[in-house]
Amino acid sequence: MLPKRFDQARPFLTLGVVLLVWLLLPLVLKTFARATFFEIQAPLIVADSFVEDLDTFWANRLHSKDELLKAGKQVSGLIAEYAFSTQRNKELEAEIIRLENLLNLPSMPAFRYEAARVAQRDFSGWWSRMTIRKGSNYGIPVGAPVVFSGGVVGRVVEVHRYTAVVDLITSPTFRLAASISGDNHPISYQGGLNDAFQPPRGTVEYVPVDFTATRTATRHLVTSGLGGVFPAGLSIGEITSLEISPDGLFKSGEVSLDERIGELTEVTVLVPLNPEDQ
Amino acid sequence: MRRRDPRWLVVFLANLLLWWLVGLANNYLAPHAVHLYVGGIFTIYAALQLDAKHGLIATVLTGLLIDAGTPVPFGTSVVLLGLVHATLLSGRHRFPREGSVFGIVVSQLANLFLFIALSFLLVGANPRPAGAWLRIFVDLLASQVAILFIAPWFLALQARSMELLRIHPETGRSLSS
Repeated sequence: MLPKRFDQARPFLTLGVVLLVWLLLPLVLKTFARATFFEIQAPLIVADSFVEDLDTFWANRLHSKDELLKAGKQVSGLIAEYAFSTQRNKELEAEIIRLENLLNLPSMPAFRYEAARVAQRDFSGWWSRMTIRKGSNYGIPVGAPVVFSGGVVGRVVEVHRYTAVVDLITSPTFRLAASISGDNHPISYQGGLNDAFQPPRGTVEYVPVDFTATRTATRHLVTSGLGGVFPAGLSIGEITSLEISPDGLFKSGEVSLDERIGELTEVTVLVPLNPEDQ
Repeated sequence: MRRRDPRWLVVFLANLLLWWLVGLANNYLAPHAVHLYVGGIFTIYAALQLDAKHGLIATVLTGLLIDAGTPVPFGTSVVLLGLVHATLLSGRHRFPREGSVFGIVVSQLANLFLFIALSFLLVGANPRPAGAWLRIFVDLLASQVAILFIAPWFLALQARSMELLRIHPETGRSLSS
């Protein structure tokens, strides 16, 4: 019979053996296990958003004909506005191509726009992520930028069969090359200032010392286009404060982000048409 | 013919259910910048009521389930939950295992340990780690309060599931015999 002291240590020994086996397991098996365990919970993750869609559908069915006619009129006005914008966009794109050819510039990255429903949001002090209801079945690649009407949402970090995980602009692990609107100096942006019950914020570093920003006189921060993932000019947020960094060479500060990021139900994934150009 | 023993599966499925429900809660709490983490509750029934083998299987599978959906090195939760499971298992003959009060207290302590361990592991990525601790403290407080309400129901759910299947959780013997 084993001594009592060994009996008490047995759970730890068993755990040690399990962990040793885990450490020696080939990476391919771990990757397979991770994908399998994610796919097990994927139907549960997306189920709630499908129920919400159904809820919205039946809520819309309850609207009267008068309400629908009124909404139809508003939509037709918007369609006319967007049709004009599309036409103007085409003209501008043609102008860009003409100038690129004239000046022998490299062509701008081209994207396909893939709209996706948000299945689940997961915002903690450790990370900020969301799961969207489109994955490799729609050709979503890892690293693709994700945007909404207010600007940058994040970047795709995991792609599964029917879902993809987006690392949000509010996440501490999210870094991005940015610039102040109207200027081309590259600035480093990082997310991660997510106080409870407060709108999300991020930080900027390497801001040239001649720039100033306060809560009342903010500076608009946009993507710089450097780094090859995000196209230039996408809105990130407003710089609300800038202070001289400890080295005295640059300024660093805080960025106020769009509050709607926490409530998004639909986003657009920018799928590169020529991935080798990125 | 050898009878199938689904004890680990019952506990794992109960954990999957709670993991999904907490994910739903976090989805709706996201606009308020509050997050719930209830990892500590997943090991309690497995460690205090099941036998060592089935408890460990359920704990390891639950750890893998958590790791697959979170941005931590794959295996982190397996190690942390495994440690909690082994600690409880090694001293469980000294604990008053019957009754839910002890289960609630242990789940609070286990969750506190897991939350702090994960925070130390992940807070380094934050641009201002000192500021991040305030948010982590609020999340911890919310999680501990949530566990206070969830634990009695969750432990009862697992116990009732075993009763419905007529299985003794520790021995695996049929309760009807």
